[in-house]
Amino acid sequence: MLEARDVVVKRGAKVLLAGVSVAITPGQLTAIIGPNGAGKSTLLRAMAGELRPTDGAVLLDGVDLRTFPVARLATRRSVVAQSTNLSFPFTVLEAVMLGATVPGFGIRDRDAAVAARKALIAVGLESFEDRMIHQLSGGERQRVHIARALCQLSTAPRRPGETAALLLDEPTANLDLKHQGEVLTVIKEQSLSGRAVLLVIHDLNLAAAFADDVVLMANGQIVGRGTPHEVLNEDLLSHTYGCRLKIDTSSDGRRLVLPAAITRRQRTGAAAE
Amino acid sequence: MRVATRFLVTAGAALAFAAMTSDLHPALAADASDTAPRILSIGGDITEILYDLGQQDKVVAVDTTSLFPPDALKDKKSVGYMRALSAEGALSVNPTLIIASDGAGPPEVVKALKGSGVRYVEIADKPSAQGVPDKIRHIGTLVGADDAANALATKIETEFASLDNDRRQIKSRKKVLFILAIVNGRATVGGGGTAADSILLLAGADNAAAGVAGYKPVNDEQLTEFAPDAVVIMRRAGTDEHRAKEALTLAGLSQTPAAKTNSLIQMDGLYVLGFGPRAPDAARDLMKAIYPEAGQAAATP
Amino acid sequence: MTTFDSKIALGRASVRPARGKLFLTLLVLLLVVAVLSLAIGPTGISLQALPRALAASLGYTTDAAAARDRLVLIDLRLPRTLLAAFVGAALGTSGAMMQGLFRNPLADPGIVGVSSGAALAAIATIVLGHGIAEPIVAPLGIYALPIAAFTGGLVTTILLVAIAARHGQLAVGTLLLAGIAIGALAAAISGLIVYASDDRELRDLTFWSMGSLSGASWQKVFAVTPFAIAIGFLIPRLTRGLNGFLLGEAEAMHLGIDTERTKRIAIVATAAAVGAAVAVAGIIGFVGLVVPHVLRLISGPDNRVVLPGSAILGAALVIFADIIARMVVSPAELPIGIVLALIGAPVFLHLVLRRGMGGWE
Repeated sequence: MLEARDVVVKRGAKVLLAGVSVAITPGQLTAIIGPNGAGKSTLLRAMAGELRPTDGAVLLDGVDLRTFPVARLATRRSVVAQSTNLSFPFTVLEAVMLGATVPGFGIRDRDAAVAARKALIAVGLESFEDRMIHQLSGGERQRVHIARALCQLSTAPRRPGETAALLLDEPTANLDLKHQGEVLTVIKEQSLSGRAVLLVIHDLNLAAAFADDVVLMANGQIVGRGTPHEVLNEDLLSHTYGCRLKIDTSSDGRRLVLPAAITRRQRTGAAAE
Repeated sequence: MRVATRFLVTAGAALAFAAMTSDLHPALAADASDTAPRILSIGGDITEILYDLGQQDKVVAVDTTSLFPPDALKDKKSVGYMRALSAEGALSVNPTLIIASDGAGPPEVVKALKGSGVRYVEIADKPSAQGVPDKIRHIGTLVGADDAANALATKIETEFASLDNDRRQIKSRKKVLFILAIVNGRATVGGGGTAADSILLLAGADNAAAGVAGYKPVNDEQLTEFAPDAVVIMRRAGTDEHRAKEALTLAGLSQTPAAKTNSLIQMDGLYVLGFGPRAPDAARDLMKAIYPEAGQAAATP
Repeated sequence: MTTFDSKIALGRASVRPARGKLFLTLLVLLLVVAVLSLAIGPTGISLQALPRALAASLGYTTDAAAARDRLVLIDLRLPRTLLAAFVGAALGTSGAMMQGLFRNPLADPGIVGVSSGAALAAIATIVLGHGIAEPIVAPLGIYALPIAAFTGGLVTTILLVAIAARHGQLAVGTLLLAGIAIGALAAAISGLIVYASDDRELRDLTFWSMGSLSGASWQKVFAVTPFAIAIGFLIPRLTRGLNGFLLGEAEAMHLGIDTERTKRIAIVATAAAVGAAVAVAGIIGFVGLVVPHVLRLISGPDNRVVLPGSAILGAALVIFADIIARMVVSPAELPIGIVLALIGAPVFLHLVLRRGMGGWE
């Protein structure tokens, strides 16, 4: 279990997180949603050990992250950042292999390559391994970085029972519908195979479709949590996002969130003003 | 794979070639001690003295400052600029005697040459009336031409003495600015302690830039401050009269007495700054150019 | 599927050469140029004279010709070749380190002000060594310059780190900007000192700043040996960290890299490499930029290949350039910086034009 406990993060006088408590557990996919500036990415970075909480603590299986050497932390969680730019000409395989070779797990390149190729199969890029990264589309690149994170977790030495967490910040941001579905399926499979997955995501419908738990944030605080059905309700979302939202349920029972259409009455009212 | 193989073959061939290349200069093996010395001359003044002493046949190589006589750089090998010598390059001309100005360098190369077993003699580069005959006598002893050297040194001492005499007759000394070069409209002047300073004093003039130490680029305002009565500028290969005349149009000089009287003197660099056997002539030429009026300097031909 | 199966055993991207073969090729290249450098020189003494030269240096013969062979082969060409190898290796790796650190293929030790700092200290030593600093400089003798340049490089770097680290984390962008500022400051102070110097010192500086190995000596070789050992010790501790930096600073941390430590090691190693190289050969540009670039084009950006490869290829390149510098206008010689620019700039241009930007975004 990876747990944020009363985490406060301040930058100067600005409070980015005002006492947030969240726990992600193995086998569960937790989605963090909320409007821009709610503190979603800050929470993810704090839980990744990248940002030190000003107050409170992040615990991994009960142990404060601050006591983890970075090298050991890398065996327990991997991160896909919002955008990663490679400044040098990598092939796809090389970029994915970094997930196994950089942390110093002590595995040979041959084994790293095997793990990297498996990760590429998982994200559906197995035929791309010799392509140069900069020739890929944005969505393909995103999948390469996910593969790298998977490669890291699959090659890291861990004892049984230790939580392995996968933290992703907006992994579907640049993707078309087909790839959104594919990437989230890969992520879902990770949670189903026992990883604790934390997903920061803007698209509420995708969160509703794939997440087991949803955490709704606003202004550095958690304003709602629970199953998608519990959190995605019209009043809470409309209030949090500051606009009127319409919630529907699809034929297969998933929540659908849409901005409310402007009604004829509002339109004429606006014209009258 | 194929590339690597081809590369290895080529590399092997290159190594074999390097190992097989035999001594390219058979002269190296020759014992030089029983024949005439082979002199490497480093320094324009030294080369000039060697030629004046009739030793040119013994000189095998010179440095690039050996501009006079012009034959020197034409007939002899050049080992490059005196301050950027190469130890093996200098040794490759197979000298038995290296006569070098104490300004030769870099220091490590000079050190290596001194330790090479070849006799290496440093000649003090003192830009003064006494420094020139000293150099000549020193070099004369080295090459076994004492008599010729004494004769030349004595002649030069006489000339300097006569110059000294003429200098006393100058009634109002002029302030002269020595410009080594003009780069991008900025003049580099010869200040105190330089050969330029010495030659101006020998020519009976005051160095307008005496307050500056060494050769320094100066700005227009400082040039105005110097207020020279005349300006001496180096004549270089490729610099025509027209270009040199630009000196007086520099903003800093345009209002000085030198510009008003159009007193611009062009001189050859090695001639006036080299302090070789022609130094008395150079000083006298300079004196004549600085004091053309009243025939002050014309007392002695 | 068959092609995929056949590739599954390959521990590298199939478009890249095998690492062992690449290193072997580079080492053979280095060996060839090193032997050529020993075999070729204006005196025309070839390697055939080596046994005689060795006999002379061991005292078995006092023959004059043998003494000369010893001088040329053992005291001139050998230290020069070793020094060229060191300078090339130092410049090649420091370029690779800086590019990895700044995630910018065009970064160079010159950019972060290390070269300027080393040069300032060296210039100050040359100029003030005859004056007010004589009591300090004189006892150090021929070691004064290397020590000063390394100290200058290190002081610059420490100052840089202090400035960049003032707000907690050592941000690479801040480092780059502070480096540019410090470099400009060092250059300005150098200018002041040069202005205060007299003619002879000025001319020494001019030639020193164009870069040359003509002053190579065993003393200089000994003077840089501790630096070579230190750099050789630090580089294996840097490759993983800098590979993490290829993805970004945060990503490197996610992958288990102590980013601050990596930066510190890279900075110290760079200061040592650049300082020592500047001290013995003056300012030689171009190697740190082009050598790592060529290696990345061949082998990809993996620093486990790029860092040691840059050392070997840099050494080979500088030795080769030095052979040309001493032979082309023999018995005079060219400043090696000119030769390197003449060889390297067209190669660099060709590579950039042929491979596009080499895959940089």
